[in-house]
Amino acid sequence: MSSLALMRWLEGSPERYDAGMRFITFGNVTRLHDAVANAAVTRPGDRVLEIGCGTGTVTWLLLGRGAKVTAIDQSPDMLEQAKQRIGDVSDASATFIEQTAAEIDGLPEASFDAVVLSLCLSDMSPSERAYVLREARRLLVPGGRLVVADEVHAPGGLQRFAQRVWRFPQAAIGWLLVGTLSQPIANLWGEIHGAGYALRSEQRWMMGSLALVVAGAEEEVEP
Amino acid sequence: MSLQSQLGTFTREFLQTAFRLVPWPTEAGLRAIGQPDESSPVLLTGNFDLTVRRLTHALEGVDAWLLVAPSGGINVWCASSGGHLSTHQVVTALKTSGIADKVQHRQVILPQLAATGVLALDVFRRSRWKVRFGPVDMHDIPAYLDKREKTDAMRRVRFPLSERLQMALMWGAPTTLIMSGLALGLAPTWALPLAVLIAAMSVFVFTLYDRLGEARRWMLLGVSIALSLAATLFAGGGTGALVAAVAAPAFVTGLLTFDYAGSTPTEGGSHFEEREWHIAFDESLCDGIFRCWEVCPEACFDRDEANRKVVVAHDDRCIRCGACVVQCPKDALFFEAHDSARIEPDVIRKFKLNLLGARKVETR
Repeated sequence: MSSLALMRWLEGSPERYDAGMRFITFGNVTRLHDAVANAAVTRPGDRVLEIGCGTGTVTWLLLGRGAKVTAIDQSPDMLEQAKQRIGDVSDASATFIEQTAAEIDGLPEASFDAVVLSLCLSDMSPSERAYVLREARRLLVPGGRLVVADEVHAPGGLQRFAQRVWRFPQAAIGWLLVGTLSQPIANLWGEIHGAGYALRSEQRWMMGSLALVVAGAEEEVEP
Repeated sequence: MSLQSQLGTFTREFLQTAFRLVPWPTEAGLRAIGQPDESSPVLLTGNFDLTVRRLTHALEGVDAWLLVAPSGGINVWCASSGGHLSTHQVVTALKTSGIADKVQHRQVILPQLAATGVLALDVFRRSRWKVRFGPVDMHDIPAYLDKREKTDAMRRVRFPLSERLQMALMWGAPTTLIMSGLALGLAPTWALPLAVLIAAMSVFVFTLYDRLGEARRWMLLGVSIALSLAATLFAGGGTGALVAAVAAPAFVTGLLTFDYAGSTPTEGGSHFEEREWHIAFDESLCDGIFRCWEVCPEACFDRDEANRKVVVAHDDRCIRCGACVVQCPKDALFFEAHDSARIEPDVIRKFKLNLLGARKVETR
């Protein structure tokens, strides 16, 4: 496929890939990544599960804050790049596993202080999202945090309209970058709440179309 | 069906056929075909909207569960060979769709062409579901389910005229749009002739072209330039038009005959080192499991039942899809490059086909 040439070129280096991501989010992705890492790690030594680590941008930030990271991704190419980015320095604190999000059901119960899903939930089907959120809750220790960053529907008519207009070129670039298309999540908080979490904080960027949700698993919430 | 919905379906069918270079995803998850129960077969496919719609149609009269796995909106063969439909997506579909609560058995039937990317043994290890590779063509599924037996014909990619024309449309439509669009801006009178030229060449490349000999690419280039030049001279075009008359067919010929990682069936990965690869077989490792024979879309293998060994009988037909290599539980099959470098099965398993030379793994 002709598009594969460009896609492979972009995917061929983490720098190019990340530059592409910065471009389609007007640079907001950098701030988002920082916020994700800050929310996930509250003290050095925190055990963090990162689902869909991609090129390892967030992995690197988590390690920089002293976390012990288990990073999973289903793409061996992406994992190679994430490992390259981390280098040998943090080998002891980072574990990379080639597996898909649905396979976190094989990880031991209550073994993480935080579970991070950064820009990866919107790539999943609704049934997959529900499964992964439920299983993530099982993996968290009491008082643990679920940290989700993703593209959501912008609130308000005008912003929603602007988001729709901008989505077309954005989707085209996104497709060239990763070869797939993703849809913004219509009811992110509803889905997280439905999996049994309680809201702790929410932040929005890009006219409300990019959201960071931090939720707790310790509260007894009736889904 | 109302006229309006028929028109809608036709438009979707056309757009998704002509522009299938871009993904057309449909929602992944579990669907019921007919009235399935706990003993009904479980079929799995990718989430290319066109595939799912055609499959639903082809399965009329069958009671089965259809699992739509997230393949990025890409068709089964491309997604499997390109890493979008692999063990992971199949495991995801099996675990998250709720199918385990719907049936008592644990056997899932995959399209045979998914064998380039989905590792049957790995799916079993990760999910305890047993993978069977069904027919290549979805229209053979009802007959296959009836007898639970795959005939030799069901194993082979046939590539009939209807599919060839769809491929022609897939390459011709976007090319026409780009070239004629450019022409509309620069020299409007050229838009229509260009569209006709591209359409004719697309149909030719995908129907008759592979029956010509080795020199076919040069023949096509020569004929298209000659025709284009003649037409321009006949129309009394100036120097600029004559240059364009040579450049345009040269560009289109290049585009059509350049084999994008094997997406055209005619050149067989001609511009990549894979073309020099051939299938190699370590007979001492073969246990006569015949998984390779089951998944080869070109029927390259024969079964030597007496000795419980497979025979690589027709390697001239091999299209280097890698299905046999990745499925062999004994690692008895592998690729060998022209300089005798050996490409290990695990390299193919991990990085699939070497799309546009991007694989970063050394051969040894």
